[in-house]
Amino acid sequence: MNDDSHVADASNGAKRAELLRKAENVTRGVGDIKTLAVAFERWHEDLILMTAQSRGLSLIGEDLSQIARHMIMVSINAAIEAARAGEIARGFVVVAAEVKTQAQSVQALAGSMRKTVDKGELLTAATFQDIQAGGKMMMAAISGLEAMVQQLHSELAENTDP
Amino acid sequence: MISARSMQNLESAFHKAIKANLLREDDDSCEIASIESGSPDQYSERQLLLITISSFVFRLIVIFRIIDNPVTRAYYMRVNTTQQLDEVFAEVANMCGGSLSRELSYQFSHLAMSTPCVLNSQCMEFLDDLRPEYVARYGVTINDSVQLQATLCMCCSRPIEVAAPTGTDEADTGAGELEFF
Repeated sequence: MNDDSHVADASNGAKRAELLRKAENVTRGVGDIKTLAVAFERWHEDLILMTAQSRGLSLIGEDLSQIARHMIMVSINAAIEAARAGEIARGFVVVAAEVKTQAQSVQALAGSMRKTVDKGELLTAATFQDIQAGGKMMMAAISGLEAMVQQLHSELAENTDP
Repeated sequence: MISARSMQNLESAFHKAIKANLLREDDDSCEIASIESGSPDQYSERQLLLITISSFVFRLIVIFRIIDNPVTRAYYMRVNTTQQLDEVFAEVANMCGGSLSRELSYQFSHLAMSTPCVLNSQCMEFLDDLRPEYVARYGVTINDSVQLQATLCMCCSRPIEVAAPTGTDEADTGAGELEFF
């Protein structure tokens, strides 16, 4: 073996060692990216809280609607009783009518609130599921990449060993 | 973003998944009929089950609604169990979603499915807010008695083509991979 081939071997060896070092860096980088799973779990937990919050609001809306329905019934009964009492309760008829109007407004507001909550619940759940599935999708892609990098690393290590 | 042929193929894949997973016995009959949009809602149940299958270019939301009555309970809760009907059905629906996801994974790489989520059934009226490319509702009748509703809601961020499902209905029967959640 002449001096030129010694120089060429040394140069190739240095390049392989450099490639091996880079492959090790990529392997470490891919390993670091896999800790994304921790962030996915955090988002998962946050979204579960948001969904529970949304359900809580929905229940409050239903309670509000029920109270408004009850108030409307009470105001109707009050109006009937006031009418029976005659002239002396004329002012109370006006009050009962106003209570009924306000209760109807509350009922409409509760209905509107429930719709907003239902819409929010769907959008939250759909986003939550997309993120959850997306997380699995990314972890699978990263695992595939990790396997490829490890394979490359092994091949380089085999070729670098003396 | 999704052609009529692709919608048809997606529908076929979904029907295949339904027949392979929502039926308890091989010889159970199953009729699947499209429900026109705007048709009156006959489901009084307060809840629906939502599953999302996501890829880099689309998300497919699958929604199931069952009627909680003695017929449905007798069909899905034959074995002594302490579980509620919605829990039992969530597992069945999860298998169905898994089957559809697997079918689509032959065509789309890096596909994944969420865990099922139970929502208020009133949420159905806001599906359009997800800006879907395509929504299809189906009424499923098993053994002329058990009734449920299944909905596909496809949202795409890029044009996609869905090929016809692989194999036959029989090929997938009983092979549904258990999706843990």
